This record gives sequence, C-alpha cells and structure tokens, in this order.
Amino acid sequence: MEEPPLREEEEEEGDEAGPEGALGKSPFQLTAEDVYDISYVMGRELMALGSDPRVTQLQFKIVRVLEMLETLVNEGSLTVEELRMERDNLRKEVEGLRREGSAAGREVNLGPDKMVVDLTDPNRPRFTLQELRDVLQERNKLKSQLLVVQEELQCYKSGLIPAREGPGGRREKGALVTRASNASSNKEEKTIIRKLFSFRSGKQT
Amino acid sequence: MRSSVMPLGPTVSQDRVITSFPKWYTPAACLQLREHFHGQVSAACQHRNTGTVGLKLSKVVVVGDLYVGKTSLIHRFCKNVFDRDYKATIGVDFEMERFEVAGIPFSLQIWDTAGQEKFKCIASAYYRGAQVIITAFDLTDMQTLEHTRQWLEDALRENEPGACFLFLVGTKKDLLSGAACKQAEAEAVRLANEMQAEYWSVSAKTGENVKAFFSRVAALAFEHSVLQDLERRSSARPQVGDGDIIRMEGHPPETQDSKRPSSPGCC
Repeated sequence: MEEPPLREEEEEEGDEAGPEGALGKSPFQLTAEDVYDISYVMGRELMALGSDPRVTQLQFKIVRVLEMLETLVNEGSLTVEELRMERDNLRKEVEGLRREGSAAGREVNLGPDKMVVDLTDPNRPRFTLQELRDVLQERNKLKSQLLVVQEELQCYKSGLIPAREGPGGRREKGALVTRASNASSNKEEKTIIRKLFSFRSGKQT
Repeated sequence: MRSSVMPLGPTVSQDRVITSFPKWYTPAACLQLREHFHGQVSAACQHRNTGTVGLKLSKVVVVGDLYVGKTSLIHRFCKNVFDRDYKATIGVDFEMERFEVAGIPFSLQIWDTAGQEKFKCIASAYYRGAQVIITAFDLTDMQTLEHTRQWLEDALRENEPGACFLFLVGTKKDLLSGAACKQAEAEAVRLANEMQAEYWSVSAKTGENVKAFFSRVAALAFEHSVLQDLERRSSARPQVGDGDIIRMEGHPPETQDSKRPSSPGCC
C-alpha cells in the first residue's frame, strides 16, 4: 500500500527541474513540498523587489495564500491516500470472493430453496431419489429371491425334497439342477415372491 | 412326501412354534385378553381348513424415530444378534420370519423402515397393506414417545381404517432402572390406550421380551388372517353356514391339503 505513493514521489523528483519546476506542475499533482518550493521561489523574487511597503503588504497576502494552498494540498493528498487504501482493500475483497469460487458467486443469485453442491466433495449428494428407490427395490427383490433359494437349499440338505415322482424316480447328477429350476417355477414359491411385493399392488390379505 | 406337506421348505425352528396363545405384556394396554385361540380358528387349524395353507403371510411395518432401535429389535428377533454400533437404515429393509402357529405354517414379513426424516418419502411407500404396525420409541427418551403419534398417523394414512393391529413398543429397557422404567411405561400405556395399541417394553441388547413380543404379534396376525379367510369363504358360499366351515374340505384349494397326514406334528 505504501509502494505506489513512493513510486510517484520518485517520478515527481525525476520530473523536477529545480524549485521552479513546481510551478509547471498540474495543480492536481501538487504536493506540500511543491508549495514550499513555490514559496521559496516567490520569496526570493519578492526580496529582489526591495523593501517597498507595498511589496511587504503583498508579501503577507502571498504568504497567507500559500499557507491556504499548503492546507489544501495536504488535505487533498490525505484524501487521496485514504481513497487509495480503500480501493486496495476493496480490490483484495473482490479477489477473495472470486477465489471462493464461481459457485459461491452464483449462490447469491439462487432462490431460497436452492442448494450449492461442492463438486470436489467426494461425499456430495449425487444420486436422485428415484435412483435410490430403484436400488432399494432391486435389493429387496434380490433379498427375497435369496431367501427362497436358501430355503430350497436347506430342503435339499435336509432331504426334505428327494427326487420325488420324477420320471423313473432316479437320482441323476443333473437332477438337483433340474429340480432347482423346476422349484423356482413351483407354485408356492412363486407365491412367496408375489406376496412379498404385493404391497405395491395394494393391501394383501 | 414331506415336500408336498411343507410347501414353504424346511422345518420351522422349535422356538418359532406357537401352540398356545402368547400372553400380553400388560393387561393395562393389550389388544385382547384371551389366552387361547379363537374357537373357530383352532377348529379350522385342527382340520387343516385354514384356506391357503402354507402361504399365510402377514405384513408388519416397524416405524419410529431414528436411533430408537427398530433395526436392533428386528435383528435380535430374526438373527439373534445385537450390534452396538449404530448404522442408520437406508430407506427400508425387510426380514422374513417363519412360524408354525397352531400347527399351520405362517410367516411374518417384517419391514424395517428408516427413522431419518430424509428417507420418510421412500419408507412411507412401504406402509401400505400392513396387517401390523409397530411404533417404536426409546424408553430413555420420552420425546421419541411423543413422536410416535405422528409415526402412527403416517402409517395409518396408507392403510384401511381398522385393518391393522397396532403395537407401541418401548425399547432399550436395559438402560433403565426398574423405577424409571415403570414411570416411562405408565406414560406409554396411557398413549397406547389412546392409540388403541398394545404396549410392550423390550431390550434388543439383552433380548428381554423380544421373542415373546413377536410371538404375540405372529399369533394375533395369524388368528386375524385365518378369521378373515373363513369369513371370506363363508360369504362366497352363502349356502354354507358358519358351523359347516370347518368341514369344507375337498373343494379345489384344499385338494392338496386333504392328502397330508392328519398328524399335526408333521412339521
């Protein structure tokens, strides 16, 4: 914050061609230093005019005017400095807001029921309610099928389902597989699955 | 041979066999005080005339605030486990539990719903068609009891009025001293009566009352289901009087059953 004014002073000194140079400056660029330079130049010239009482009187007025000019210049430079600081602060603020991400910038324009999602957050919400519903339904279906298969398996293990009434009643290697697929078309088990999900089609009895 | 008798598969484990009607928890809030099966029901069971034998299944829906222990209760009963760590239920889950009530195979399809508000819209889709609604609360957190009103209201909205058995269940009984439990129960019993629900205190951690509770649920649901069947059949065949129902063997749905051995100990 201190730097820009310093640079300007350096520039001013670079421009300066002795105390007289101050008189050639733009009034908006004038510093207290310039006013002192002008005072020095004018004082020297007034001195050269001799000790005429009119000159002396004019000198008082000139001193007064220069003092006023000095006050104005000081005041002006203070104001400029303050504005410069404020500008720098605002710049920083804007930069910070920009850095917070364009998403945050947009948030300001969102309605009251809107939410902003941080796309870099691995735990951000990303699936829809319908997707969750579908997954749950799929899970329930698979679970019910698993239950049926587990029961069937238990039946085979405990010999509850022997190779019954099959053609010839023989136990073959493929018999289990065949029976398993037959069993899934078994009326009762189909009914279990149907019953499991009959809540969808309304009240079951 | 047996497979035709037991269409539902393997035998039911011994602790799922219900022969006498399970008792209530407290007479101050119970759905019925009878200690035996309805006469018509036991007669129908004896004669294997319970309609779609082997396919009897009732839907149970468990609702209540998050972290009251709905999943723990169900897992204690169905899997006999207790997990100390809390894991929120996502949407819904279900368990199937097979019983043998009065000699007849019977299943409970127990729907475990999420207590978290954000899942309510998903879970509520599963409330429909329930025969039993279990509203659970945490005995150590009376606010969860207060919330059961809302849970019950939501679940009832999806069902026909008067179609469901209602239960109010206080969980985590093990965390309370006897006196504190009595105090909480008194309040819960009051609310249960208001809801026309049966009240139970349970602990999934110790298993206290869990089996007794679900046996009671199963017996009530089974009895209701059999009575409904009998009623439906009697109205479908108006020429058959109520007293004849138990002898309605031999018509199509029963052809299979008539082949089964008459011994009730077959399963």
